[in-house]
Amino acid sequence: MVQTLKLVFSNHFYIVLSVVIFTFMLIGLLVLSEYIFLDPYIVGHISQGTEFGFVLIVILSILSALVIPMNVYRINILKKSKGKIGGSVFSSFIGSVAGACSCGPIGFAVISTFGSVGATTLAFLTNFELPIRIGAIALLAFTYYATVKSLKIECKVS
Amino acid sequence: MNKKGILVGIVISIVIISVIVAYSSSVETENFDVRAHGMISTTMGSSILGNPSAQITIVEFGDYQCHQCYNWFHNTKPTVFQNYVDTGKANFVFMDLAFLGRDSPIAAQASYCAEDQEKYWDYHNQLYTAQESQVDNGWANSERLKAFAFGLGLDMELFDDCLDSGKYAKRVQYNIAEAKKLGANGTPTFFIVGPDGQQQKLVGAQPYSVFKQVLDSMI
Repeated sequence: MVQTLKLVFSNHFYIVLSVVIFTFMLIGLLVLSEYIFLDPYIVGHISQGTEFGFVLIVILSILSALVIPMNVYRINILKKSKGKIGGSVFSSFIGSVAGACSCGPIGFAVISTFGSVGATTLAFLTNFELPIRIGAIALLAFTYYATVKSLKIECKVS
Repeated sequence: MNKKGILVGIVISIVIISVIVAYSSSVETENFDVRAHGMISTTMGSSILGNPSAQITIVEFGDYQCHQCYNWFHNTKPTVFQNYVDTGKANFVFMDLAFLGRDSPIAAQASYCAEDQEKYWDYHNQLYTAQESQVDNGWANSERLKAFAFGLGLDMELFDDCLDSGKYAKRVQYNIAEAKKLGANGTPTFFIVGPDGQQQKLVGAQPYSVFKQVLDSMI
């Protein structure tokens, strides 16, 4: 597993890609889920009872930052199918959407635009925020495992 | 003589109409305590909690089903109240931005039905204590709202009539419209209104440190 990671991240492009994905996902999700506030002051805050949600966001960001560059590597270097990157991007997206609290401006905009359909969708995403995130993490973990396995075979990593 | 009679009749009619109009407008004035804080019309919001002549007013736009409002209520509000509202430096008004689910406006209306029996704040606190993590899962449906009122010892006949008739539906709609007018597009959104009418908007369940900085800068 370590050899596979070394193989991919020996190229600086994939390190930069990984850092960019991690930073954008982490900061974006922390802002959306109101762990970071930007206005009127930049301040971070984990309120009581929301610690588990914070940990899930960190795990989701780390996994996305690992899995997406590895699959980009598979496509660029090995010219393999795009199926796995589709799965990893989908998992990251679903995990992120679950974090967009319906109380916030995004929720308000969706409900204002789509009415009761938007409200029902957002209520679902809010009610099942943690299970959806856990599901997205499980899917990313599986994609990570499958990608490492296939890279081992395709690149003949010992 | 006939002309005189018509003239007297017109004058009497005008006087009667004027009296009726004056009376009805005085009734309206009695019902609506016209109130504004900065640019915000808080007439249809809650009563003022804390010192009414405090220099600063904190206006919260919230939804009883909003989990971030719950977080603010339990984690930040006690410290803000302890240091600013209870000490008379600021007062507090709650207004409804009830948009999250079908039970949200009903819960807001129920709070004003409780206000009819002078239990608004008890009911408000009860809702934020009993809130469950899922939106529209039934915790704030009509039956549960009545059960909360019963638990607070309200006159149930009055409360049921009020809630079932939708007496305060327009009041809640007015508050939502006021929130939209002010650009509040999420809950909780706070407007801190200072002594000169200057306003600071805070979006989200921001921590005490932010409130302290904003409030101290206005005192």
